[in-house]
Amino acid sequence: MVSPVPSEHLQKLTSKEAFQQFQKSAIDRWTRMWDGDDTVISVGVGSSSIAKGALEVLDTVREIAGPNTVVREVSGNGAFWMEPWIEVKRPGQFPVVYGPVSQSDIAGVIDGSRDDLAVGVRGDQPVGNIRPLNEHHFFKDQVQLLTRNAGVIEPDSIEDAIARGAYQGYFKVLFEMSQEEAIAEVTTAEVRGRGGGGFPAGIKWESGRKAKAEPKFVVCNSHEGEPNVYKDRHLHEADPHRILEGILIACIAVGAERGYNYIGGEYPLGIKRFRKAVADAERLGLIGKNVLGSGKNVAFRVRTGGGAYVCGEASALMYSIMGVRGQPRTKPPRSVEEGIWKRPTVANNTETLANVPDIIVNGGEWYANIGTEKSKGTKLMTMQGPSKLHGVVEVEMGMTMRQLLNDIYGGMRDGYELKGIQTGGVSAGPITEAEFDLPIDFDSLKDVNGMLGSGGWVLFDQNVCAVDFARYMTAFSRYESCSKCVPCRLGNPALVEILDRIRFGRGSLEDLGLIKRTSKHIIELSLCGLGQVAPVPLVDMLDKFEDEFRAHIVDGVCPSGTCPISAREESLTAAD
Amino acid sequence: MHQPDQSHAVRPVPSPYTGRQEIDLDVVREMMSHFTYDDHDEAQELILSALQEVNEHFGWVSPEAAEIVAEALGTTPSRVFAILTFYADFRTAPRGHHHLLICHGMSCYVMGSQKLVQTLRDEYGIADGETTPDENLSVHVVNGCLGVCDRSPVVKIDDHYAGHVTPESLTELLNRALAGREAMSVSEESNG
Repeated sequence: MVSPVPSEHLQKLTSKEAFQQFQKSAIDRWTRMWDGDDTVISVGVGSSSIAKGALEVLDTVREIAGPNTVVREVSGNGAFWMEPWIEVKRPGQFPVVYGPVSQSDIAGVIDGSRDDLAVGVRGDQPVGNIRPLNEHHFFKDQVQLLTRNAGVIEPDSIEDAIARGAYQGYFKVLFEMSQEEAIAEVTTAEVRGRGGGGFPAGIKWESGRKAKAEPKFVVCNSHEGEPNVYKDRHLHEADPHRILEGILIACIAVGAERGYNYIGGEYPLGIKRFRKAVADAERLGLIGKNVLGSGKNVAFRVRTGGGAYVCGEASALMYSIMGVRGQPRTKPPRSVEEGIWKRPTVANNTETLANVPDIIVNGGEWYANIGTEKSKGTKLMTMQGPSKLHGVVEVEMGMTMRQLLNDIYGGMRDGYELKGIQTGGVSAGPITEAEFDLPIDFDSLKDVNGMLGSGGWVLFDQNVCAVDFARYMTAFSRYESCSKCVPCRLGNPALVEILDRIRFGRGSLEDLGLIKRTSKHIIELSLCGLGQVAPVPLVDMLDKFEDEFRAHIVDGVCPSGTCPISAREESLTAAD
Repeated sequence: MHQPDQSHAVRPVPSPYTGRQEIDLDVVREMMSHFTYDDHDEAQELILSALQEVNEHFGWVSPEAAEIVAEALGTTPSRVFAILTFYADFRTAPRGHHHLLICHGMSCYVMGSQKLVQTLRDEYGIADGETTPDENLSVHVVNGCLGVCDRSPVVKIDDHYAGHVTPESLTELLNRALAGREAMSVSEESNG
């Protein structure tokens, strides 16, 4: 048998040796599947490919698959442009990936008559005329650590994950390392918070471990509310066990009784796959009392959010878990002293925790060699807007924006003229082409008012008006303000009002000063991170594209032709 | 007695939302019977999840359903309503027979989703969270990202995604959808 054991048949493992045995048989099965005489067909199913019909493709594959064929539902591999894709491994060959395919192509792909649809070989050697996928420019410069299982394992199979190395780091902290040693590896690795803050995870863990009160908790922040990021969704859909393992390691290292994963409600498939991962880990005895006979206990809970951006802020997130409105509170006390149910709580971003298993297995030194001096490791990134290709990629810290855009994403789509790239979601400003040679890491972009943030870049072209774009981002913050404190609650609507005045051709030059003053108030007086950065995109847009603002006010034209001022129709009003 | 934490066990997934629905309170009670807890703290942690399940199943949460949730988890209806009115995913009025999501993430904005919001307002007279008077169409402008950015701007009507949408193709798509009461499925001929 090469199919994974169905979940309900998973047996609880009660000792170190039992786990090693399970691991061995999982690897055996994995090797037999790829080296055996069966044809293995995998279909990449993720939220982006489902929108393009991946589930129908999967159904068709199941219908027409012949005998001696294994059909697998894997996740997307980040390359949106080749979705929906299927991968066919014929006996004695490397797997070949085909895409985009439609239902009617599938029979031909399987019988080998449609090699024109092949994208590449998943392996080092060509198959016939088909080149390895890693030679494609989208994959060539990627360094896939966190995403190396994406599109490879079945995310619903704990056996697949274990065959590919899952829970080895967890095993190590359970049996071979002290809490201090585990934290020391994370500190040596200098892994910094991937949610945008960039705070070193090792230091946070150490304060968590030292906190006096009991019980303690660890919470993974998977609330990805930015309007331009879907890297955590991709991780949840592709490799949920990696995230779970990271959280469990953190629990053991800081001595937490329970781990939480707080997942935004935006990605139902990711939630479903993650819940399945937790249920399977529980069946195997990786969560619970006396894990694998180590004497250590750890519990786990999955909690989901309801579409409030502010819940990405740690204190708001914890209130949301506790079943109230997610409104941030003043600090101190920091959450590591008083978090969920007033207990010490260590909160890390999903991507940060997903780095942890490899750090524990390979050591902090290994990790510290990847990336730049101050920003270690890799970063998941997404590029949106009119680029040639789209998708989630993982690159080493320090790559320049020019390389990312031109080499990986293939540059601008034909017919679009580059204007800039919005950085840091709605928390920072745009950068223009002159700044594209700066390395992408936590610190370099700050000098030009950009921000790494969560790694979502939005490409915008000459058809996008700076005033209108600034209004879009300010309106986002207005909508997402939790309304607790006044500067944010009233300041953001005021900014939108001023911007609308300019968009409709009724602005005055004094409005530019008013924007700066109002923004200063919001930035300096707001309680939480959302308010403190809400006007930043606007201020930076004004800084970089002041000419455009002036053109609206002085000349009465919108250079991009987007704003209602160009239509000269008084009947037009703001759409939201 | 200590009971094992069942809160994240895989529960039967509620049937996906289709069309306009009245809320069957017996179904809500049945859903709530799956939410077990050890203490009051855990019960509070379950309020959001419970509301999500109801919202996902029926497309909205009525005051009566909110009361059942409150009672099952040992809290007050006002606490439940405080949550319903804070988080954007929850609706407190039924959806139309057809439900349209307009992705208003940054990628879709850059590629022109603002025009779609405008079209909807001009031609159907509805904005985010509203339903047409004939109860045929409701709309949710997603202040986040549907994650299908290579096809932006993207909309989703019922279960059907459409990409590279223009005001003209949106009108055409809506006319097609509104002509029938059947929810549109994923595999409808795509114009993207």
